[in-house]
Amino acid sequence: MKKILFFLLLLPSIASAVQDYYHFDSLKEQNRFNALTSQLRCLVCQNQNLAESNAPLANDLRNQVYEKIQQGQSDQTIIDYLVARYGDFILYQPPMNVMTIGLWFGPFLLLILGLGGLIFYIKKRE
Amino acid sequence: MIPELGHFAIILALCFSLVQIKTGVMQKTAAMGQCLFLVFAMACLMLSFLTNDMTLIYVREHSHSMLPLIYRIGAAWGGHEGSVLLWCLILSGWTVAFIVFSDAALSRSFFSKILKIMGCISAGFITFLLATSNPFKRDFPHTLITGNDLTPILQDPGLIFHPPMLYLGYVGFAIGFSFAIAALLEGKFDPTSARACRPWVILPWSFLSCGIVLGSWWAYRELGWGGWWFWDPVENASLLPWLSATALIHSLAVCEKRSAFIGWAILLAIITFSLSLLGTFLVRSGVLVSVHAFANDPSRGLFLLIYLAFIIGSALLLYGFRIHLFYRSHSFKLFSRETLLLINSVILLTAVATIVIGTLYPIILDALNKGKISVGEPYFNLVFVPIILPLLLLMGLAPHVNWHEHAFNKLWKKIKYTALISLVVGLLSPWVFGFPFYVSTGLGIAIGVWIILSTFQSRLELRHCAMVVAHLGIAITVLGIVVNKSYSQERQVKMLPGETVTLANYQFIFNSVEETQGPNYQSITAHFTVEKNHQAPQALSAEQRIYPHNQLLGKTGILWNPWRDLYLALGAPLSDGSWSVRLYYKPFVRWIWAGGFFLLFGGMLSLLRHYLKRRESSHESF
Amino acid sequence: MNLFKQVRFALPFILFLFIVILLMRGLSLHPNQIPSPLMNKPAPTFSNDFKGHVTLLNVWATWCSACAEEHDFLLQLAREKEVILMGLNYKDNPKAAIRWLKQQGNPYQLVAYDPTGQIGIDWGVYGTPETFIIDKKGIIRYKQLGPLTQEVWEQTLKPLIQQLQNESL
Repeated sequence: MKKILFFLLLLPSIASAVQDYYHFDSLKEQNRFNALTSQLRCLVCQNQNLAESNAPLANDLRNQVYEKIQQGQSDQTIIDYLVARYGDFILYQPPMNVMTIGLWFGPFLLLILGLGGLIFYIKKRE
Repeated sequence: MIPELGHFAIILALCFSLVQIKTGVMQKTAAMGQCLFLVFAMACLMLSFLTNDMTLIYVREHSHSMLPLIYRIGAAWGGHEGSVLLWCLILSGWTVAFIVFSDAALSRSFFSKILKIMGCISAGFITFLLATSNPFKRDFPHTLITGNDLTPILQDPGLIFHPPMLYLGYVGFAIGFSFAIAALLEGKFDPTSARACRPWVILPWSFLSCGIVLGSWWAYRELGWGGWWFWDPVENASLLPWLSATALIHSLAVCEKRSAFIGWAILLAIITFSLSLLGTFLVRSGVLVSVHAFANDPSRGLFLLIYLAFIIGSALLLYGFRIHLFYRSHSFKLFSRETLLLINSVILLTAVATIVIGTLYPIILDALNKGKISVGEPYFNLVFVPIILPLLLLMGLAPHVNWHEHAFNKLWKKIKYTALISLVVGLLSPWVFGFPFYVSTGLGIAIGVWIILSTFQSRLELRHCAMVVAHLGIAITVLGIVVNKSYSQERQVKMLPGETVTLANYQFIFNSVEETQGPNYQSITAHFTVEKNHQAPQALSAEQRIYPHNQLLGKTGILWNPWRDLYLALGAPLSDGSWSVRLYYKPFVRWIWAGGFFLLFGGMLSLLRHYLKRRESSHESF
Repeated sequence: MNLFKQVRFALPFILFLFIVILLMRGLSLHPNQIPSPLMNKPAPTFSNDFKGHVTLLNVWATWCSACAEEHDFLLQLAREKEVILMGLNYKDNPKAAIRWLKQQGNPYQLVAYDPTGQIGIDWGVYGTPETFIIDKKGIIRYKQLGPLTQEVWEQTLKPLIQQLQNESL
């Protein structure tokens, strides 16, 4: 308690203008940054996204994404830039293409087949 | 001397487990003996850690002479070899528990078969331990060694509780598996056996729920970004058997009460333990990348794969040949509780399949030489939520629906007001939590409220207390997830001592930076004061720690109450003397874990009821 | 028992068989090695330095313990003069790097300094040490992850380099 009081006494009376680590001109840009960094994979600790990794490379790549947003580059341009250097693996959300149809539609197909099969089976027993 | 004794104890345990496989009077003794020697072996390992015996390679790799005592004990299972020993120990512990507490009504031959199968599983795993993962391997270095140290992120109370809880969970499902195999071998599975089996599924399920929650909480505190679930392969490995076991618990209830779905329960019991084994394989074989994984070794992976292929393969073959004996005709209409419970199983198994597909897909594409993709959080969040949603809706419906048949319009009359109230609460939520209004958030809150209201509306008799508590737990977790995901706020800033940052009506005042010394680390601590609307100051601090061998770890500071967490993480110092600081406002995050503890409590209530009922029926038989 | 029922009962086992086969195959894969998208593409930087001869670009740092492991082998390679060795000092203090090379020996004909890591990003570097093989036209032909050893050299890199040496400009 005493310690807290001591520190409170040391406080400047006005809160100074603290700088955001990444400063954005608009909320839209901030959301773009958050969306991009959470959809890109950290290649060092491979099961974390760029937004939540402590690795130095993740820090560098976050800075890159930030700078490119500031430069006005589009999301796709930024993604293309990173994929050109690190490959599809850097995309944390797997792409939708011929190879990944099973991945994206498999679960829903299974659910429909499972429920449908169940209803069919019960009706047959009635 | 002690490591050699420990090693020898494991060999003896293996011999006992082999004896356990033979039917006869020696079975129970063999099981007890096996457990005793594994306990002794673990004690030897812990003693080696406590005395800093660096001649053991395992101790050298996972401990340090300055490591605090409690973590030296936890380090016994902090690495691969020790955790395999823990696996074997807990399996034998469950066997002994089964011997001591199992229902006396269970037939002798059934009981004996169960012990046989547990013996097989034990024998296989102890062989794996001895052949590839011996924690007592020694060499005798000439120089003084302080040890590589336990990875700093593991130096946390979570290490003491989380792995044992998890193992109590998914190793415990071996009993349900053994019930299923015994039933297939005997050709019958009557309600008595189903009733005897159920507590042996519920208890591990409760422990697993607790273990998963502890893991999530630990990750939240340690990783520094406020996340609590990452769909990491190791996390998925623990969730898979949990989902399957939930389906099994519900199916066993039908077995008991209606004498139906027996074949289905047997299959689910096999699948649940198979998922435990599969998970054990996935996290140790190097087949998947994970932040959690143990040191990966393909040769261990091969052994495990052969082991699980044998156990699960023979189980499923036996199932294929014998399941037709269990076909019982039990009629029920399309709209009935039986149907809803079957839908429960279908949805849960689809969820299991989804996670398996997502986890294995990168391997499939890589094996076909179609390149490497990464499947992680974005995928699972997108796919898992829509699949589990119908199940959550059903949770509100099913308790009201009768067995065998129920008229839908009667149901609708009963629940329409509850549904309406839930929707209204969901719509009103922005007034409580803040605008803007998101449809998904409103719906999520409505579902959580719907489950709570509906559960109370239907089942207020004492005999349903366990179900009520468990379903409440799920609702609480759902509400926690929805509110936390929708209304969290964060800021990442550069701060100098003396500056203040505002987040969600809280002021975070950066007071000072201090250098201190811990038992086995040096720490740089940032001291903050937090106020709400410039009142009620509380202290909060976060650290960056440096451990031996220059390992860095950030320690977060958290101020919590049931409604919100205020989360502080210290980053790197910047060139202008300021510090990178991350601040989070996390509403309702504790609800996510509170729900898990409700599940544990509900499981315990169910066991209590089961035990009381058994006492009652054994008194009657006199 | 009709056929449909038989299939239904055999289904779990068959599915399981597929999973086991997949996992068996998975044991021999390396999931944490990410293939480089720069294969058979021109080198992103220093393009003129590569024209005319086969070059090995080794990404290293003084803080990287695995780089220290391969250092002796690199010195040996430099002595044999089979290929041009170029170093990229990644996210390091250039003064410390120079000092380190003076103390431990310098196997590189040329060293580039990348304290910010920007060049590393252009090359898709994610974990040192990494070594790239660039042919006479300046095209990247191979990326080696992890330290160079005699074994890796004999089995993979040496045959490739000899093949590239024989290619014309």
